[in-house]
This record gives sequence, C-alpha cells and structure tokens, in this order.
Amino acid sequence: MSQIEKPSFDVLMPALPRRQALAWLGGLALGSQMAMPAWAQGAVKRGGVLRIASLHNPSSMDPATGGAGTDHSYLWTVYDTLVEWDYDTLRTRPGMADFRFTDPKTLVLDIKPGITFHDGTACDAAAVKFNLDRNRQDARSNLKADLGSIEAVDVTGPQQVTLKLKAPDVALPAVLSDRAGMMVSPKAVQALGNEHDRKPVGAGPWKFVSWADNQKVVVTRNDKYWRAGQPNLDGIEFSVITDQATALRSVVAGQNDFVYALSARYKPLIERAKELTFITAPTLYVIQLYFNWSRGPLANAKVRQAINFALDRKAFIAAGMGGLGEAAGMQLPSTHWAYDKAVAELYPHDLERARKLMAEAGLGNNVEITFGGYNDQDNVRRNEIVMEQLGKIGIRCKFTTGTIPEISGQFFGNEKKFDALLSAWTGRPDPSMTYALMYAKDAYYNAGRAEVSPEVSALLVESRQKSSVEERRAVFSKLQRLIMEGAYSAPLGFQFEVAAAGPKIKGFKPNLLGKPKFTDISQA
Amino acid sequence: MATLRESAVGLFGRRLAQALPVMLLATLLAFGLLKLVPGDIAVTLAGDNASDQRIAEIRQLYGLDKAFLTQYAEWLWKVVQGDLSRSLLTGEAVLVSIERCLPATLLIVVLAMVFSVLIGAPLGVLAASRQGSWIDSAVMSVGSLGVAIPNFWLAMLLIATLALERGWFPVTGSVALSQDPLRAIHHAVLPALALAAGGVAEISRQLRGALIELLSSQQVRTLHAKGLSPMAILWKHGLRNVGINLLTVITLLANRMLAATVVIEAVFAVPGMGSLIVNAALQRDFPVVQGVILVMVGIVLLLNLTADMLYGRIDPRVR
Repeated sequence: MSQIEKPSFDVLMPALPRRQALAWLGGLALGSQMAMPAWAQGAVKRGGVLRIASLHNPSSMDPATGGAGTDHSYLWTVYDTLVEWDYDTLRTRPGMADFRFTDPKTLVLDIKPGITFHDGTACDAAAVKFNLDRNRQDARSNLKADLGSIEAVDVTGPQQVTLKLKAPDVALPAVLSDRAGMMVSPKAVQALGNEHDRKPVGAGPWKFVSWADNQKVVVTRNDKYWRAGQPNLDGIEFSVITDQATALRSVVAGQNDFVYALSARYKPLIERAKELTFITAPTLYVIQLYFNWSRGPLANAKVRQAINFALDRKAFIAAGMGGLGEAAGMQLPSTHWAYDKAVAELYPHDLERARKLMAEAGLGNNVEITFGGYNDQDNVRRNEIVMEQLGKIGIRCKFTTGTIPEISGQFFGNEKKFDALLSAWTGRPDPSMTYALMYAKDAYYNAGRAEVSPEVSALLVESRQKSSVEERRAVFSKLQRLIMEGAYSAPLGFQFEVAAAGPKIKGFKPNLLGKPKFTDISQA
Repeated sequence: MATLRESAVGLFGRRLAQALPVMLLATLLAFGLLKLVPGDIAVTLAGDNASDQRIAEIRQLYGLDKAFLTQYAEWLWKVVQGDLSRSLLTGEAVLVSIERCLPATLLIVVLAMVFSVLIGAPLGVLAASRQGSWIDSAVMSVGSLGVAIPNFWLAMLLIATLALERGWFPVTGSVALSQDPLRAIHHAVLPALALAAGGVAEISRQLRGALIELLSSQQVRTLHAKGLSPMAILWKHGLRNVGINLLTVITLLANRMLAATVVIEAVFAVPGMGSLIVNAALQRDFPVVQGVILVMVGIVLLLNLTADMLYGRIDPRVR
C-alpha cells in the first residue's frame, strides 16, 4: 500500500543534511526537487518509546462519547475492536471476536478466549453485551445510529454474544470494526462514570497513562495483551502540535519520531531531510463538492452534470493536492472492493459537453453559484482552482470562507447557506455507511434533506441486506451509478496519506481508511 | 505612615471593586461573541456520523438549547462557587487546563520582559547619553527594526538559525518549571527572544526620549553646576525621574505580550494559554474560552493595579 519511492533526483540534487533541511523548514522555503532515503526494513525489535507529533487533540478517549475522526489513532492504542479490516481493501476480518451471520437477521460473535482489560477483568460475553448496550442506549453515546439495526444483544454463552437485528444489516461487522466495536472495561466505566472519557480502560496493546489537553497523550505497553509477542513498542507519546509545519519541524529536529496526516505540500521538505522517510498511500479521504440539490441552480441536474464535466480533476490534484492523489469519479478509490470503473469514468474533463449542458439548463450565460469553503492555505488554493475551472463554463463562483465548524455548520446545519461546499469526506469502513450518511433523505450530510430518488433510497437499504461480496458489489454499482448520473456531488480527488518517519522507526503500514495504527512499528 | 498604608489599602479596594464589573463585562462579551459567530459545538460533539436528531439530543444534554443569558448565568454561578466548569469537547476541568498552561505562558512573558528590560534599558540610556551620535542612530535603527519585524517571522528565523542550524535550543514544546527549571528556561528562551524584540525597541526608544527631555532640563543644569559627573546625573537622578515612564511602558508591554504569545506559542508548539484559547474558540468550546478570558483579564488588572501602587512608591506626588 505504501508508496516508498526510490530516490529519483539524487543526481540532480543530493539529499541535504538534516540541519539544512531544518533551516528550510524554519524559513518556510519550499523546493521542487527532492531525494528520499530508503524505507528502513529489517528484523522486528521489541522496546522503545515512539514519539509522535499529532495534529489533533483527542475529543475523548472513550469511543462512545468522542466525535472526531482524528481520535482513532489514539483510540486504537488503548482499544481493540471486535472486528478488524485488511489494511489494503478494508475487507472485514475477525478481531477480538469471530463473527458469522446464522441468518440475515442474526449475527453471532464468538469472543476469543483469554482477553482481559487493562484493569484485569475479563473481556467475555457479558462485557461485550455491556458495551454494545451502552453504545446503543447511553445518553452520551454518539453510536446509537450506527447500531440502530440491533434489536437485542443476547449472551448465548460465556464467550458468545448473539445480535438480533430489526432488519438484515451486513454492514454491521464493518460498524463493529470502528468505534462501536471498541471494547471498554465495564468495571472501569461503572467506577469512573464520565471520567472514563479521560481515563480509558480497554483491552488494546497499550495502556493509558496520561492525557494533558492539547499537549500530550501517553500510553504504555500492556504486558497482558492477548496477541502474543505484541506490541513491539514499550510505549507511545503523542505530542499535540496543531500546526503542520511545526509538527514536521519537530520530527526533522529529532524531537519526535513520526508525524502523519500532513498536507502534500510538505512532501519536498520531508524528502529533503536526509534522515526522514517519506511515506504515502491511498486513502478513502476524498475532496469533493457537496451540492444542495433541493433548491437554486443546483436543483437542475444538467448544471450539476455540467460542473462534473467541467472539473479537470488531474489539474486539480496537480495544483491543489501537491500531485499526491487519485482522480475521483465516485466516493470510493480504485483499490476499494466496491469500486466501479465504469461509474468512475462517467465524467471525463469535457468543456464542450459541460457548456452544452449549461445551455440546455437554460439559466443563461452567467450563473452565480454560492460556495462555502475553508480558510486554511490548502483549501483557499483549492477554492481558487474550482472558481477558475467552473468559470470556463460561465459559472460565477461566489466563495465564502471560514473555519470548518463555521462553514460546514452553515451548509449542513439549519442555516442552509450556500449552494455548494468544497470540503471532504473522510470515508467509513463500509461503503453503505458513506452513501447512507450523504444521500439518505434525512442524512445530516445531505444539505437539502431532499430524497435523491425512491430507487436510491431502496438501494441504500438493499446495500445492507445482501450478504455476499459479489451481490453487494452489484448493489453498490447500481447505487453509485444513480448517484453519479444524477451528479449529486462532484468528487475531485482522493487524498493520499502523507507521513514522515524518523531514522529510529520502521515497519509503519498505512491503511486505506487513512487513520494510522501503530502496532506494526518498531524501533530500528 | 499609617495614612500611606490606608491610602494604599483604599487604592487596592477601589481597584478591586472596579475589576469585578470589568471581568463580568469581558466574559459576557466573549460569551456573546462566541454565540453570535457561526458554528455549533453540538455538531462537533455529535461526531462523524452526526444526525439532526443526535445534534438536538446533544444540545439538550449540554444545555446548549437554553437561552443565552441562562447559559451565561449558569456558568457564572459555577464560577462564583469556584468551579470554572469543564471543556465541552474533552471534559477536562477548565481550572486544570489553566493550571497546566498558565505557567508556560507566564514563563515566556516574564523572560521576554527580562530580555526587554536588560537589553532595552541600557540601549536607551546609551542613546540618550550620546544623542545625535552614530550610536544613537544605530540604537534608533535597531529600535525601528524591532517594532517593524513581525514576531512570528523573527521566531522562524531564530528557529532556523539557533535551533536547527546550531542546535542550541529545542525547536518545539515546553517543559514545566516545576519539573525541571533549567530545561524549562532553555525551552522558553527562543519564544521569549522572539517576543522581546518589540519590547527592546519600545523600552529603548521611550527611555531615550524621556532621558533626553530630562537631560536638557533646568534641574540637570543645576546638578551639572553643582559638580556632579554626567554618569551620576544619569543613573542617580535621570533614571529615577523617568521611572514612571519606564514602569508605564513595562506594564503596557506585559499586557501586550500576554496577547502576543498566541502567535509565538503556535510557532513553537508551546501548550500555553494562547494555544488553549485559540483551539477552544475555533471549536466554540465556550467554558474554556470563558475561563481563559477570566484569568487573563484578572492578570491584566493585577498588573495594572501593581503598576498603580508602584507609581506611588516612585513618585510620592502620585499618592
């Protein structure tokens, strides 16, 4: 998955010594050519503490009460999940439990023996039932909707839990590979109450030590971890550094060992630093235009289609994503199991067709569309690219920029401002979650809360009912085609993970979800 | 003596009585602004898979659906009871966050003040005593540069040269003073230097101006006539007479530096009060914003009060 590039410009520009590279970072100097050290490989060594520069503070260390997608990399250190997925494809596989559907409305979880929480209590059927019921019913739980298909959780053996479903839901295992499947210690939750948000007790590879807001999160090895021989590292120290340049600088200077989720514009700087390894890999994170198709010019399908034809996705990726990305013709990348090439190729860059569609839409030559956009450096540039590209078909983009909570709240929330929003979709373990959250009639990320079509609504339900991969793929193909033919959004590009690893670490494996796990990392 | 003490106590009491409405007004304004600007913390709290229903539940759960003044009154009532509330986002007690972040900010500001005074005051005296010379011009040029250079840019230059190229200082972060005083100061030197540039300039220019005015006065001419050496006039009489000017500049600088740390903390990834309030404001985490504003306003008022008390010590006429 990871693209560990070979040094391609060594002859043109030898790798700079660390201090020179650091000086470049300090002065915000950006170059274009780079050299890259080889990714360190070799035998796994146990021990050592990994120091990570993390761009986000956790919202909560309790999986049920947290809200941010950036929490996962913290949560996965303390919690294991009932179900896991393959890093490359996100296909589900057993985690703390083996799982099987005995009928479309019954999911049986067989919890692996010998798993204990960090407080020494057993992770058995009773503990799993406690967790699932808490996630479904607790007033503070953000996971109620995720587990909405469960009617009852029954303990059917000391290590077995049976989930009775209201309706068939084959996406449930994938749901249990996310927050909803992270098991917390019932004893700790009962003893700590809301304090468990800040003093988490799980059954993961590391135990929680401390969390100072916006400063540091520390975890240490769980010696009784159920997977023999893991984890490799004795501990992890996350330093919360919200500024990307500063976070990278801390790794270049050797104060930290690893930084992830960087903007592609830092690629040259990472590659110039002699002792750093540049790591990149595809993710589900897709930058896209959200449309409010319930009103205004975007209620007209021809305008939405024209926009999709007018967008030059390759140029967008080159200029707006540092050249690191994959052109997006739908909400899943080419490596995903439910990807459909024919759908993804529905909208080649074709200005003639776009102009023709605009003419057919009958809105005149100078259509104004209001856009929301974010005010950080990367997004401002992307806003300008979109303005320029859509200007070629007579669309005048009127962008309003602001912070993410401000602008996304105005677009998706009650205000219903703007006709469109240039933002991103961070991806979910199962594609049915992605499509339901964006295109179901009452979904929050469906800005106009308008139904796409009865057929799409039916397919959203069907996507959770078919059991085999082939059947599901067929359903998703139909669903994606209907959505993209109607052009209910305009995906632009899948963003690649951009990470930098210092000389002391090796073995990092990126995953398609784009939320790093650190269990494979060891010290060199 | 008793009268002097009484007047000091009276001044303290009056200032304290004035401080309370200022603090109330500041927190009410900040609260109002946070509620006025777009963005809803309930959406953030509802998580990645938010729904309209969940957002409504969150609003009810956290009391965000209550009237503006009710929310403010509830927060204020807790403050009166000594509880600064908890972060809506992370659940950390606001007092704990402030206790952790305040020392880092104060260390940088105090160190920056020390640099400003230690470098700025001698430069100002030197320029005043050599008025019109190349030394005076050089000091004034440095002063202009210090005011003109944006401190975040200077911070980056300092990082590039002293931290990255030379490796003399850490690039990011901070260490608690209580944990390791020497390392804490080592971490704070570069942020303090970046912050002090403007302070050095301001102190040297103000001191120069005040001293030049004083040195051309009748009083100094008399002192000359009495046979005092120029150095004795400058140090014994000059500085004492410009003490009030210097104290005013230092107080204003300290207030300004407390605000300017927001940028410096971001560049050096120092988890101080600036980072705390910026992150909280961006996420509309109003208990944290309110708590930080309350404490910062308190510090500023305390600084001003201290300056007022010191004015009386320096110049008895002020009493």
